Amino acid sequence: MPSPMDIYKLLPKTNCKLCGEQTCMSFAFKLITREKKLEDCKPLFSPEFEEQRKKIEEMLKVVEKATETGLVVNEDLCIGCGNCVVVCPVHVYEDPEGAGSGIGVRLEKPILIVENGVVKVVNVELCRRYKDKTICVACRENCPTSAIAFLEEL
Amino acid sequence: MVVCAGCSCLCDDVEVELDGERVVKVKHACRIGASIFLNYNVSRAEPMVNGKPTDIDDAIEKAIELLKGSRKVAIYGLDNTTLEAQGIAIDLAEKIGALIDNGSKFGRLVELILKNEIPTTTLENVKDYAYVIVYWGCDVHNSMPRHMSRYTYYPRGKKRQRGYEEDRFLVVVDVRRSHTAMLAKKNAVFIETNDDQKLVREFISALNGGVASRDVLRIVKEVKKSEFNVVFGGEGLVRGLKNLNDFVEFVKKFGYFIPADYHTNSMGFFKIMFERTGRADSYCFGNDSVVSFEDALMNGDVDTVLIVADDPLNSMSFDVARKLVKVNTIVIDPKQSFTSKIADVVIPSAISGVECGGTMVRSDGVSVELKPMFKSEFDDVKILKRIQRGL
Repeated sequence: MPSPMDIYKLLPKTNCKLCGEQTCMSFAFKLITREKKLEDCKPLFSPEFEEQRKKIEEMLKVVEKATETGLVVNEDLCIGCGNCVVVCPVHVYEDPEGAGSGIGVRLEKPILIVENGVVKVVNVELCRRYKDKTICVACRENCPTSAIAFLEEL
Repeated sequence: MVVCAGCSCLCDDVEVELDGERVVKVKHACRIGASIFLNYNVSRAEPMVNGKPTDIDDAIEKAIELLKGSRKVAIYGLDNTTLEAQGIAIDLAEKIGALIDNGSKFGRLVELILKNEIPTTTLENVKDYAYVIVYWGCDVHNSMPRHMSRYTYYPRGKKRQRGYEEDRFLVVVDVRRSHTAMLAKKNAVFIETNDDQKLVREFISALNGGVASRDVLRIVKEVKKSEFNVVFGGEGLVRGLKNLNDFVEFVKKFGYFIPADYHTNSMGFFKIMFERTGRADSYCFGNDSVVSFEDALMNGDVDTVLIVADDPLNSMSFDVARKLVKVNTIVIDPKQSFTSKIADVVIPSAISGVECGGTMVRSDGVSVELKPMFKSEFDDVKILKRIQRGL
């Protein structure tokens, strides 16, 4: 994953405030957390910054694949064991008889569900990382095939 | 809700969405299970005699003719079919004095379980009560993907409400750092060993209060905290054990043992064989001896083999596979396989759990009724019955 400093180095560094942020550095931070879009930086779209813009777009490709919590699922590596579904603290709390006991998740709005043999992220807004900004890594820790990863670790 | 017959977990919580004859979505099943349902109609076997397409009646007639003309028949496979079909196959073997064997190597250990010499339990009890869970010589994460998440380490049970982090202790014993071993993190131990027998003796010594390595002593300390501890032994353990007496002593002191055999219905085969012959291993009804299919094939004691729902050419070692090509082969299989490519007679059948029902036995000995979604004209039971009648 690109660091904010890597992105800052490629930005115009004029602190023009056109994007609504006070500094270019804070804009770089928000690009990674996806609170701002690259289009908000108007000077970057002028011809003189074209090369730098392309470099930033390349860097941000990883960020785009991730969900809002930074969770990235690589379906090619997933074998559908369902460890992540069973260990997810939200699932255990909401559905103790189903997902908490190892049976397929019965919730109407699950966060993770095994479909067609691979895990899918369905309702990411219910994840503890999204709501309370807790640093929970239960699903990633119990995935030995590394199909689940978080952006900050990539 | 259907039952997945992909491995011996026999998960009964799988949901399948259909669009006419096509399976659109499979929920909760692992990759092995999902592909059985999603691709059930792909690369199906066709009735064949000597590599030429024919109809199913012709193929069955030819199979009967081949079996009648041979003196040393073997029946092999049977792991992916139902208890009912296994029963008929064993009847057939008894009638013609054939050798019967399945692909699983657990015969010796399962026999001790069925004789009540090794204490065993069910997976539901493991979920509710087990504290120390040992995976010995098996990579269940790959062979039975949902084993840990559905029955053993991860789910919360009646007496194990606090989950895997506090209420379970995982031990993985293997020759290499497998995917299952990678899950041994907090409250867990991974032991890398090349000598299972030595480790079993070390465990016995530690359980008796004797000397042992630091890891083993740590595990034994945890074992003493709970009354319910369980060992799952895989094929690595079965092949690594030279003397079973030590292992029996170890399990009696440790807790319970459940075979982690991925062959879907091998436990069913062992159970029927034990009822009929008093032994759970491969058996030759012709000369009342215990001999495995591989050994008989290598010694040239087989001239025709009837393979039911298995692909031995894919799984056997090269030397044995080469011998298999030289004998007459009759394959009853729903799908095309390496073995069906070289077979003299191919009889297409139905996929157990998708197109035909019946009973299967889970690795811990619990019977599970299959719930098929489709109906099929020919299944293993009907085909084997016709062959039986023809003989």
